[in-house]
Amino acid sequence: MAEFLEHTYEKFIFKVKEGYLYSQDEFWANFQSGAATVGLTDFLQKAKGDVAFLETVEPGLVVKRGDEIGKIETIKATFGIISPVTGKIAAVNPEMDASPYLINHDPYGAGWIYRIEPSDPEGDKAQLMDAKEYFEIMKGKIAQEAKKLYG
Amino acid sequence: MGKKHKKVVVLPCSGIGKVFGALARETAYELVERVRPGVATTTCLPLLVINDPEAVAKVKENPVITIDGCPKECARKSVEAAGGRVAKAHEAIKFYKEHKDLKPEGVAEVTETGRKLAEIAARELAKEVDELAAGEEK
Amino acid sequence: MDIQVAKVGVVSCSGEEIPEGTLCRLACRKVLDERPGETVTICLPLFIAGGEEERTFAQNYPTITVDGCDKMCAAKATEMLSGKPARSLSVPEILKKHGLKPPDKLRHFGAGEEAAVQAVAEEIAKAVDEVLEEE
Repeated sequence: MAEFLEHTYEKFIFKVKEGYLYSQDEFWANFQSGAATVGLTDFLQKAKGDVAFLETVEPGLVVKRGDEIGKIETIKATFGIISPVTGKIAAVNPEMDASPYLINHDPYGAGWIYRIEPSDPEGDKAQLMDAKEYFEIMKGKIAQEAKKLYG
Repeated sequence: MGKKHKKVVVLPCSGIGKVFGALARETAYELVERVRPGVATTTCLPLLVINDPEAVAKVKENPVITIDGCPKECARKSVEAAGGRVAKAHEAIKFYKEHKDLKPEGVAEVTETGRKLAEIAARELAKEVDELAAGEEK
Repeated sequence: MDIQVAKVGVVSCSGEEIPEGTLCRLACRKVLDERPGETVTICLPLFIAGGEEERTFAQNYPTITVDGCDKMCAAKATEMLSGKPARSLSVPEILKKHGLKPPDKLRHFGAGEEAAVQAVAEEIAKAVDEVLEEE
């Protein structure tokens, strides 16, 4: 299995990591060893630009899928971090304070934002898209954006 | 105390496509033209890649401060690839993070708030220019 | 690879040391803003430092380079890293052709520099049209 599905538009290569699950809000979850690591998609980080500030919630907080669990501010926009998972925040990526740009640089790896202890992993998984399904949604969004810009 | 230098090279990435590339460029110009004229100098980044002898000599013989517009650090990498010495490496976004009220705009060239931010950034970097010129590099 | 539409990559020299470098940037940006469906900006420093997206684009699409001086860094770097540009423009030659003097400042261009920016932008746009016709 290739590590990423890739879609090229103009000079941009949009990547979707295989094996992760994706929400409609453009956040991914990777369920492994009883925890879910969470971050934002390559499409979202490219759309919003370089991350300047990150506001996160504290470990211990109980969250539901769809809750806003922080904010990201880039030079272009401020937007919410929407949890794709229901459970308890176990950890915030300690690199985020000093190096929020990791979200842009490596959105599916070093740029992870939270580790969550899921309370309903099967319920979450049923609501999230796998990589192939999300990839088609992403391509559609890119085509829509292009139409908006170029007519 | 280290060797004194007549010049300190300030090299922006000048990336086109992101506002921080333009901010890096404006900050370098502030240093070279207003804040530390005669001491701060610059050169064209692509000249290093095509091995222009004058540009390569400039970054080999003088300490270099790089200002990059994004984490890809093109200015720093280009200087190092040419055999130059990067004494200090900065990312332009750092200055925005420290002065959130001055959100820069503009891609080829920054607009008014970007110019104000560049002025502040240049004054902050002036100290490094002075230290490097005096051979007091930390 | 999922390439969809015909586009031209425009590579501006960064020209920090000379006013023609700033002129290059502003003229390229003008064309990119006016022809967004047909042009893509290639960030030269990123292209040089190994940017995957910039290099992939330049390998698959035609490029127009715009240089501020006769050292022709954008043209040479593009040829070195991805192949000969479809067109290589020189700002000094364009200014000479239009009977214009180069700007005398590195930044903060105003009304006095507008004619030069316009002339260079027009030549870039003409080159874009020619390259697209050839595609």
